[in-house]
Order: sequence, then C-alpha cells, then structure tokens
Amino acid sequence: MAERLLEVRGLTVRFGGLTAVDAVDAWFDAGERVGIIGPNGAGKTTFFNAISGVQRPSAGTLLLGGRDLAGQAPHRFAAQGVARTFQTPRVFAELRVQDNVDFGLQFAGRQRPAVPALRDAMAILELIGLERLAQLPAAAVTPAQQRLLEIGMALATRPRLLLLDEVAAGLTEAEVETMARLIGRLRDELGLTVVWIEHAVATLLRHVERVLVLHQGRKIADGSPAEVIRNAEVVEAYLGDEVL
Amino acid sequence: MHGDDEMKRSDATKGLDWGGLGVLAVAAALLPGMVSEFVLSLALVCLMYVALASSWSLFCGATRYLSLATSAFFGIGAYTSALLLDSLPWVVVVLLGAAIAAAVALLIGAAVLHLRGTYFAVLTFGMTELIRHAVTWFEKQVTGTVGRVLMVVPEESTVYFTMLGIAVLAMAVAIGVRRSRFGLALRGIGADEQRAQTLGVDTRRVKMLGFALTAAFAGAAGAAMAVRWTYIDPVTVFNPFIGFQTVLIALIGGAATLWGPLAAAVVFSVLAETLRLQLPQAYMMALGLLLIVSVMVLPDGLGSLSRARIRGWFAGRRRDG
Repeated sequence: MAERLLEVRGLTVRFGGLTAVDAVDAWFDAGERVGIIGPNGAGKTTFFNAISGVQRPSAGTLLLGGRDLAGQAPHRFAAQGVARTFQTPRVFAELRVQDNVDFGLQFAGRQRPAVPALRDAMAILELIGLERLAQLPAAAVTPAQQRLLEIGMALATRPRLLLLDEVAAGLTEAEVETMARLIGRLRDELGLTVVWIEHAVATLLRHVERVLVLHQGRKIADGSPAEVIRNAEVVEAYLGDEVL
Repeated sequence: MHGDDEMKRSDATKGLDWGGLGVLAVAAALLPGMVSEFVLSLALVCLMYVALASSWSLFCGATRYLSLATSAFFGIGAYTSALLLDSLPWVVVVLLGAAIAAAVALLIGAAVLHLRGTYFAVLTFGMTELIRHAVTWFEKQVTGTVGRVLMVVPEESTVYFTMLGIAVLAMAVAIGVRRSRFGLALRGIGADEQRAQTLGVDTRRVKMLGFALTAAFAGAAGAAMAVRWTYIDPVTVFNPFIGFQTVLIALIGGAATLWGPLAAAVVFSVLAETLRLQLPQAYMMALGLLLIVSVMVLPDGLGSLSRARIRGWFAGRRRDG
C-alpha cells in the first residue's frame, strides 16, 4: 500500500455562523492524482486554504508525516512539502519569470531534497515549458502562461503534495490538454501527489484516479470517477446547475 | 515588485554601489577640517536623515509596511543617551540606544505587525504617542523632572563621526540586504505576503527582524543626536515631525530604491535648515508641494528615475517644441 502523505481528520472551518468546511475526513497517498469537485460555494477552496495553512481551521487535525500541522503558518506546510497554486494567479508581476521560480527555491525549496527536474529555476522552467520567457517580467506573459508559472513557483518549493486550484479555468481546450499532460508528468516523473480542484468536472474526471465531492462543506462522496458519477447524492447536489 | 530593477543589476553595479558609498563616506569624513561650524552642523543633520530614511526604506520601502514609529525609536535612543552618558563609554551608549530601540520594536512589532496598510501606520503612530506620554508621565511622577540636561557631552567632531558611522552603516546594510535572501523575503512580503508565505517565507520572523533593524538605526541616531541638543525633553525627542519627515524623505526619494532616500535626505536637510529658521511656513509648504508633485509625477520616487525616462521627457519636449 502506498505511503499516506496527508491525513485530514474532522477538518472544520467556520466563518462566523457559516460553516464552510464541515468535519471533513480525507487522506492523500503518495503518487495519487485526486480531484475535488463540488458546486459553487461547496468549500473546495476553503478546504485547500486549510490544508495549506493559509486558513487556520476551527477544528480538526492535519497529519503530515505523522505530525499535526493544524494551526501552523503556511511556511511550515511549505517546509513539509505542501505546495499550492491560487485560483487567480498570484505571480510576482514585476519580477522576471525566472526570478518568480527562483523565489521558492530560495525559501521552502532550499531545505528540501532536490530531484534533477527541480534542481534549479531553468530546469523547472523547461519542465513547465516557459524556458523561452525566463527573462520577461511575469506581468508581460499571457494569463495561460501565468497559470503555468504559478505551478512552476509551487514546484520550486520541491513539494511532495501539490494542490492545484482551478489551473485550467479560462484556458482553451488545447491549453487544458497541455496542462493535463504536464500534471500527468508531475506524477509519473516526479512521483508527486497531485490534488486538483476544477470547476469543469468532465475535464477533471478524465485525468484523476479518485474524486472527492464536497457539498455545503461536507464530503458526500469519495471514490473512482466511475463510482462517483453513479452516486445518487452527487447527482442531486449538482442537479439543476451543473451537467455531469 | 519595485526591486525588479535592482535584481537585474549585475555585479558591476553592485561594485558601483559600494564604490559610491566609499567615495561619499570619504568626502563626508573630510568635511570637518574644511568647512564652517554652521555647514558642519548642517552636514550632521543630513547624515541623521540619511541614516533614518535609508534604514526606514530598508524595511518599510521593501515590505510596504508604512511605519510612523521612527520618532519613538529616535526618542528612546535619545533618552538612553541622557541616562547613561555619565556612566558608560560613548560607543556603548550609542550601541545601547540601538539595542533598546530594537527591543522596543520587537515588542511593538509583536503587537501590530500582523496588521497591514492604514491600520499598521495608525497603530505605529499611536504607539509613538503612547511611549512619549509614558515617558513624560514617568519623568514627572517618578523622577520629578520635565526634561534632562546633558552635562558632559562628547566633542562635536566625535558626534559628527559617530553619525557618519551610523549613516554609512545604514547604507552598507541597505546595499547588503538588497542582494540577500532576507532582502528577497522583504520584497516578497511587499509584493504578496501570503504568496511569499506559501513559498516558505517565515513572514512573521522576517518582519520582526526588519522592523527591529530599522529601529536600531533610529535609536542609534537618537542617542548620537541627543548630546548635540544638551537639553532634551519628551516633546523634543519624540517629536512626530522627525518620523513624518523621515517618511516623506523616503517616499520622495523612492523608498524601494537604494540612493533615492540618501539624495532626498541631503536635499531636505539643507532645505530645512536654511528655510526653517527664516521662513518656517515656506519650508512646510515646500515640503507639502514636493510631496504632491513627486507622488503625481514620480510615484516611485526620485530614485526610480531611469536614464531612459529622463531621455523620454526631453524627447517629448522636443516634439512639443
């Protein structure tokens, strides 16, 4: 059985009277590709924020390598190999593309084991296919390229677990395929565990082995894509506003 | 991020920075034998504001945390000087001024560095006022004084060279930090603090260290300056104007640049000393006008002026004419 990377128990995030994430149990094993789906407001991004340290959970434990990181600052998660992207790319606009990638190498990536594909900024830029843009300011590249750069910045922390928040949103079909191929390579060649939130459910289901479904903050399904789309509760959650 | 130009600069320009600092330091060191007492005291004020504005920019310029607490650290340094001058060697007094100011900065920082923007600015100002009133109260109630007279003070040249040392060190630290991981972390915080955190920056530690570093220079400057005034009281040494002027100088010079604050500090101190005595209102108006003009025309300060941009202006003018 594969190594358990992250184990989430009873994770709860409350904002005042609203419970955005409600007692969610989940686990992610080494080398898995997992998708997270759910209607708008299901708590997908809040779940990501909580398991990357950006949002302090109201309750629950986040066991990473046997240690509970709940309540710790985001840099501790990064140091333990959790990396993430943001829904809206948050690149350092005035830094060059290469320096954006170098940032993670200078901090979290510095203390973590380096595989050849992530040895330096140029290697990472080649992996994500932006090596020709290395010298440009990040503000000067297209939104699609900024999404790739976001992944490059996350990879520079030399993670074990990569959390991707709607990296395919707003991309053309061809760009989505490129993105999916890249994500596949991250698992196959680097052994990364990839957890991927995507609004476009059909796209996501083609590229993951397991899917978690969140609805109103609760996990309502967890299984292979085929199992999940047969799940009556899931269909009901999506009924009316989403097409599976 | 404003530090972009700096990051692109090669090692050659890094050499230029150190060379430039060396030349300026030597020139300033030669002044005492060459100029009148008035000019020398003017140079002392210049050096004070170079130290204050450069060290302020080092942290506040990079992180965009606008601190108004400079007066607090300056005043703490001045009081350290007033209390310990009789019993300890001069160098130790100045170092203690820096250390105590830095320690207070860590305390203030622990309370307010999780806030950003206006909240941070207003609270640092509030802390400054709190410290000033606390000192006033303590002096009145406990020690029974309103101010302190510094009886035995170091020679003028000693004070001058001390301030020169502080200013040169502030610039040297600014040059060093710009190229360091610490400097990169500070700029990352300024650009997107949360993103920097998720990439592994311990932002809390970096901010505390940066804030304390800024405070240390303000404390040292206050300790050195106190002996020039021979009489100090809380109103003088915790004067918020010292803090405001530091911020204005840094912003007009370009808080994200290396040489901008230095240039602006010299221009301002000269303006201040020559105008303030004769035409105090004119000086304040000039200050206000300069701030408005610089924010409108050069939002990133004088130091952000590139040769290309100046050429652009002149080219534009030729076209117009």
